[in-house]
Amino acid sequence: MAADSANRSRWRGTLRAACLVASLFCTAAWAQGSDPGDYPTIAGINSRLAVWIAAQLHLMFAAFVLAVPMFAVFIEFLGWRAEKTDRVAARRHDWLAHEMASLLPVAYSLTAITGALLGFLLFTAYPKFMHHLTGVFGPTFIVYPLFFVAETLCLYFWYYGWHRWQGDKKWFHLLLGLALNVFGTIVMFIADAWATYMMTPAGVTEQGALVSLYDAVWNPGWMPLNIHRLVANVTFGALLCSAYAAYRLLLSDDARERALYDWMGYTGNLIALFTMLFLPFAGYYFGFELFAFSATYGVTLMGGVLSWLFIIQAIVIAVLFIGAAYYSWLGLLRIPGSEAQQRWSPVFNVLLIAGFAVWATPHTMAASIEESTGGFHPVLGALGVMAPKMIAVTLVLVVLYASYLLYRRAGRVPTVGWARTGTTVEWGLVGLMAVTIAALGIFGYFAPAHIRIKTSIWQIYVLIGGIAATFFLDQALLRGAKTVAAVRWGTMPRRGQYVLVLLAVVIVWLMGLMGYARSGARLNWHVFGIMEDTSPNAGLPSLGEAALVITLITAIFFALLAVAFAVAGMARGTDERALVELSPQGEPQ
Amino acid sequence: MTRLRDAWRTHVPLPTSVVLIVAAIYVALKLVRPVIPGSVILLYMGFVIAGATIHVTLDDARIRRFLDFFVEVSGREPRAIRAQRWALLAVIPLVLGWWVYDALRPKYAPPVEIFQRHPTVGEEVLKRVTVPAWAADPAKWRAEDVAVGKRLYEANCAVCHGEKLDGQGPAAEGFRYPIRPANFTDAGTIAQLTLPYVYWRLTVGGIQNQFNSAMPKWTASDAEPDASTLHSNDLTSDEAWKVILYIYRGSGFEPRRE
Repeated sequence: MAADSANRSRWRGTLRAACLVASLFCTAAWAQGSDPGDYPTIAGINSRLAVWIAAQLHLMFAAFVLAVPMFAVFIEFLGWRAEKTDRVAARRHDWLAHEMASLLPVAYSLTAITGALLGFLLFTAYPKFMHHLTGVFGPTFIVYPLFFVAETLCLYFWYYGWHRWQGDKKWFHLLLGLALNVFGTIVMFIADAWATYMMTPAGVTEQGALVSLYDAVWNPGWMPLNIHRLVANVTFGALLCSAYAAYRLLLSDDARERALYDWMGYTGNLIALFTMLFLPFAGYYFGFELFAFSATYGVTLMGGVLSWLFIIQAIVIAVLFIGAAYYSWLGLLRIPGSEAQQRWSPVFNVLLIAGFAVWATPHTMAASIEESTGGFHPVLGALGVMAPKMIAVTLVLVVLYASYLLYRRAGRVPTVGWARTGTTVEWGLVGLMAVTIAALGIFGYFAPAHIRIKTSIWQIYVLIGGIAATFFLDQALLRGAKTVAAVRWGTMPRRGQYVLVLLAVVIVWLMGLMGYARSGARLNWHVFGIMEDTSPNAGLPSLGEAALVITLITAIFFALLAVAFAVAGMARGTDERALVELSPQGEPQ
Repeated sequence: MTRLRDAWRTHVPLPTSVVLIVAAIYVALKLVRPVIPGSVILLYMGFVIAGATIHVTLDDARIRRFLDFFVEVSGREPRAIRAQRWALLAVIPLVLGWWVYDALRPKYAPPVEIFQRHPTVGEEVLKRVTVPAWAADPAKWRAEDVAVGKRLYEANCAVCHGEKLDGQGPAAEGFRYPIRPANFTDAGTIAQLTLPYVYWRLTVGGIQNQFNSAMPKWTASDAEPDASTLHSNDLTSDEAWKVILYIYRGSGFEPRRE
């Protein structure tokens, strides 16, 4: 215990030293390079590139520290609720929540460091722009650090007071966790106001003079981005926690420890899969608001200079979904007697691959002079527009959900009297959902644009309605179900763990890509239509250059995250008795 | 059905099945006419190979079945199985080798073009485009303006974009690379665009700038309607708007609202 504490102190000391060195470097650089212009150079570095890297790194750590407490507190709450009925399950949930939370303290320091670096770069390299931003958002610049401090305090008391506030005081601990989430969300919402003001400014005159701070904050892009980030952050954090579980499982020789980390990886993947179901629609909502604000965004993002990013995005999202589905299919191998469910995996595999092939088909194709059919392919071009892509992606989500339903059924036999009818109705509804989604999409393909948008929205309603109906039906069907084969946690093939690591890399890269798309879409504007970016580096890089920078950001992020993982791993020893008691058994949860 | 599947499994081991399926999809994609660009085939094949890898690794027994085919040499297998093993051991490296060679060998064709269907334009440029009151609302478009637009379109644009606005004009085949004349009846073209953007595109064109299309610049100032830029019969601002009205009305689409 003393050694653990010493390790923690050492790591915190190292981080503080790193922070200090970074500050000194920045101060020295500023002293050398500042000039009175609108865009002073800092030690000859490319300011735009530096801000890009710092902003993206800060955003990723911020996403992580915001998301992990959300589901950690939820899992802790589940454990607290189970305390009276199943003490082992309660302790296991508490262990999982604490395990996830253990990644937070170092990640929090890294968020602060990258945030400070970003702030420094912005104020020194873009003084005119920051003068404008502080002029508009001055009061929020004061409130923001207060909430940040409140969030920090809650986090540290929540994490370090974990064992102190157990039993009768657990409610207080949960309340702290809830406050942490509330403050964290407010912090993100405030930062989102600045970011979205730059994209969809409101509350100012055409010359940029403030008219209404309320409108500047609640600008058209604000709430869509808030929602999109909330959902995406949970996916992001859950996949990083899963990667951590995979890392721990791969290192472990102890079967009981492997069982626990297998369960942690499974839970993280399940959370990620669930939130991923809603992510495309949150993205569409944000895109929809951007397009409504200015058609230039629509052209730039979907048909113009950034449109190829979305083909790359489609491929990366496909990797994400297929990887998550593959992991869940491999999970069936943990359940003896799940052969009936395993038979469906190859079928689902074909459906997912076919769906994503449609989803990633470009409308305008990159072709050599011999292959060119004029940009638009008469056969495949039809797959490149919105309607078939909506059919494809929505049906892919149906397949993923069906995989989840099958997983729940593995190793369990329903005991309710209406099991056969219920199962038929359940799968009939899934089939009906798929057919309706396809029919709506086909109708929308031939309909005018304004009707097509409505059919897309109806497809989402059908999906959500179908999922809700079958989910509750499934809950009722499996109430009191007989478990005929216990899940053998920890026996997941190693390749499943590598998939979890891959998914973490993919989501980080994807976040970098979309961060670039969102910011790059402003083109030559700091604040779209209000304040132009006339700096020497104000140009969009080529796709290749952008991909390299995003990859560099991903590498830096993982190098820093490895530190967080290592510290979290060092901060605890294996408690033998706890492992014996906590190793999960039984049905999928 | 089960017997057929068992017979297939006996005579065609898993690796052969996988290679046959991957090859069959590749050949099918290659046979589609007009040809599918290599970049798209590469994309599809990436998915297919990922799907095949997932299929093979869905359970441990299947992985063993796949790998044992290559390493287990008992000498008692049917000749057909051995032939398949050696065929795959020869074909797979050869295909990979050819792929690498093909990627690295010098080529003299221009590089693959990543074309932007709708060139990006700054907000400040579009803000300068003023939509006349009579053209702003599709519900109030006058039939006589649309008729003038139709006449102008048929005289100036239909040769490439086609009388049916489908991009199939008599001259269209001459502009195969990098992009053929736009098909206005396709939901991916004017239906996605606002009136100022379409006006900008029409009056800026593409041949003289980085947009890399053969679209001429159709413009003439209102002060000098007969002044020529590229063509001798350029359109005045009003004429350009009437042509735009017609291509929307004729294709059945409405402009995207700002």
